[in-house]
Amino acid sequence: MAEAVGRALKRALLRRQQMLVLAAAGAIVLLTSAVPLARLLSEIFDAGAAALGVLSAVRPWLLLIRSVMLAAAVTACAVAIGAPLGLLIARTDLPGRRALWMLHAFPMFLPPFLLALGWFQLVGREGFLGSEVTDRLLFSQVGLVAVLSLTFSPVVTSMVALALLGMDASLEEAARVFAGPWRVGTRILLPAARPTLALAAIVVFALTISELGVPMFLRVDVFPAAVFARLGGIQYAPGEAFALVLPLMPLALGLLLLERRLVGAGSFAVAGLRGMSRAPIPLGNWRPALATASWSVAVAGALPLVALALRAARGGGFGNLPQWIGQAPWTSLGTAVIAATAIAAVGLVLGHGAARGVRGASLLDAMAVLAFVTPAPVLGVGLIAVWNRPATRALYASAAILVIGYTARYAVVGIRAVASVVLQSAVHLEEAAAAAGARFWRRLIRIILPVNLRGVAAGWLLAVVFCLRDFETAVLYYPPGGEPLPVRIFTLEANGPPPVVAALAVAHALMTALVLVAGVLLLPRRSPE
Amino acid sequence: MTAAIDLEGITLRYSQRRVLDGLSLTVEPGEVLALLGPSGSGKTSVLRILLGFATPEAGAVRLSGEVASDAGRLLVPPEERGLAVVFQDLALWPHLSVARNLAFGLQSKGVPRPERDARIQAILERVGLGGQGHRPPGQLSGGERQRVAIARALVLEPRAVLLDEPLSNLDVGLKRELLSIFRHLLKERRTTALYVTHDLREAGALGDRIAVIEQGRVVQEGTLESLRANPSSSFVRGLLDDFAWAGTVPGNF
Repeated sequence: MAEAVGRALKRALLRRQQMLVLAAAGAIVLLTSAVPLARLLSEIFDAGAAALGVLSAVRPWLLLIRSVMLAAAVTACAVAIGAPLGLLIARTDLPGRRALWMLHAFPMFLPPFLLALGWFQLVGREGFLGSEVTDRLLFSQVGLVAVLSLTFSPVVTSMVALALLGMDASLEEAARVFAGPWRVGTRILLPAARPTLALAAIVVFALTISELGVPMFLRVDVFPAAVFARLGGIQYAPGEAFALVLPLMPLALGLLLLERRLVGAGSFAVAGLRGMSRAPIPLGNWRPALATASWSVAVAGALPLVALALRAARGGGFGNLPQWIGQAPWTSLGTAVIAATAIAAVGLVLGHGAARGVRGASLLDAMAVLAFVTPAPVLGVGLIAVWNRPATRALYASAAILVIGYTARYAVVGIRAVASVVLQSAVHLEEAAAAAGARFWRRLIRIILPVNLRGVAAGWLLAVVFCLRDFETAVLYYPPGGEPLPVRIFTLEANGPPPVVAALAVAHALMTALVLVAGVLLLPRRSPE
Repeated sequence: MTAAIDLEGITLRYSQRRVLDGLSLTVEPGEVLALLGPSGSGKTSVLRILLGFATPEAGAVRLSGEVASDAGRLLVPPEERGLAVVFQDLALWPHLSVARNLAFGLQSKGVPRPERDARIQAILERVGLGGQGHRPPGQLSGGERQRVAIARALVLEPRAVLLDEPLSNLDVGLKRELLSIFRHLLKERRTTALYVTHDLREAGALGDRIAVIEQGRVVQEGTLESLRANPSSSFVRGLLDDFAWAGTVPGNF
């Protein structure tokens, strides 16, 4: 009897394998992101009227309006730069477009305040090209918009370029039969990339509204800084911090709804992996002018890194690096790799599920999107509320909290990377395996993973880099003595020797570059055909 | 005798559009039934319902008498139906060699290694690919890939093989050769098969019987001769006329 019941139970579990695997991946997303956000709501309630009173003042609301307007300005500038540049890189005969793309894209993989630091070395009062005027300009809202626009425009460029590279060639060729390059670009290619452009704009807006390092460094008062100030230092008032994140929640929900409405299923189809093999559209007489403009943008984005390297070299910063750098690079790298592995695993299951329309997967994908577009302080404060308690103190006081935070914020990277490649692979490959008797787990490991390995690996690599560049969530809860490199650079920036800070920033950039180069070299050349 | 495949009153909708409309069909053990119909008639939906990738809104699917799907409920999941399939795009797993493609299903069913190897070797010899087991599918010619696909289906010794227009993209010479191989393989193993096609010549060459499907319903069943002798509707007559007009003789490739 017991044996029969056991057999029936085993059979029932085997039949629900996909649901169970999905539930496990979903549990990770819910535990790391939904629970902190839900917990935050109850903390706000518990904080009481006194804490909520902070919202009755005018100042937080003015700060919020300023933050939203700055984010909108950065988004507009990033789209204005990134959309045409993405089109030029993906589909025209712009000279050296591959190298241009790499040079232009690299800064987006770095913590933005590192670039602000570089701009300071370049155009600050004592910078290589600096004066009173340039210094005043840099330490203003205009400077903030300029720095963040140059930092985030590669997000738009890369997403548009990937979408256009993945586009069916016949759509473009049919138009080129009777229309010139300009008309094909503006009437066919860019409109075809509209869902991607909308997604890129949402990503840039979310990244900007979360940004903490650049506004704090450039002394521009923004809303997330007000939240951060109440979690440490002289303004310490955690109840008020909980209350202050309240207005950010509808903002995050608004971004999620916008993403669903404007982008929908199109958001999965952003990562074309076909390469640049198609014949490019000739730019003709416009080629020199457009090449100059494009390369200028790319060089401008990389200039701050050159300035940092020069400052570090001239002031002996590199020589003093060993005594200042500590364990920070290893903390960064270790937690990023572990979190990225978790993100890739979650992404494999949920990304596949979302692409194949498995029930529940879309909802969990939406949850992951919400965690990403939620301003970083909200998620950070939520994580503190959940994990900073006696029962979980051991986790909270260790590097594990960084892994949890990274997984919460960047799970969407893995999900979307996998979903975009799964959509491009034939569903029959999986159905043939199911018909041959393979249950879900076996199909996942033996068929789905190998067939989509390139997308999973790309998602993993992207997640590593996103975790490495994270500052705005980690700064809220990094464990004592276990800060990741961006946090270490930021804390040293206030009172450390400038050449050493510059050297640390260069070390961070080099570490990111090495990870990217190693990742790209190890990435499977192409999906098996 | 219990039918190997029995579809009874199957109805299926995709977003309000009725794809199958009370379709009924039986395939006897060892029989090859060709399901013939134009694009959009619901042929592939029949296959998806049989495989368990779609659940009928109404009607029942029975496999050797066992109810596999019944009015909106999937009672037996795809991996437990004991079927095998050859898709139009063949769906050979690109990262696995020919032998591993064949081994995958046997491993899933827990067939021990010695038996597995023996069965793979035998079927590869039978389809003319002996000694080719180590090659990746990407290195095979179109005809070889077709042979691997049918071998991968038959090596499982399934309850029935479902073939979804596997020859539709091939030239006439290769099609003729492969049809001959398919027919011999299916007959010598007494394998039940449902062969979906829009091509009357393929249906006639392979099927013991032909079922003509139109707008989600089977409108006539019988041998090729009976269809030609007594077409039940203008639709069936039209199908036959198309081939007569093209100057081909159905069934004789």
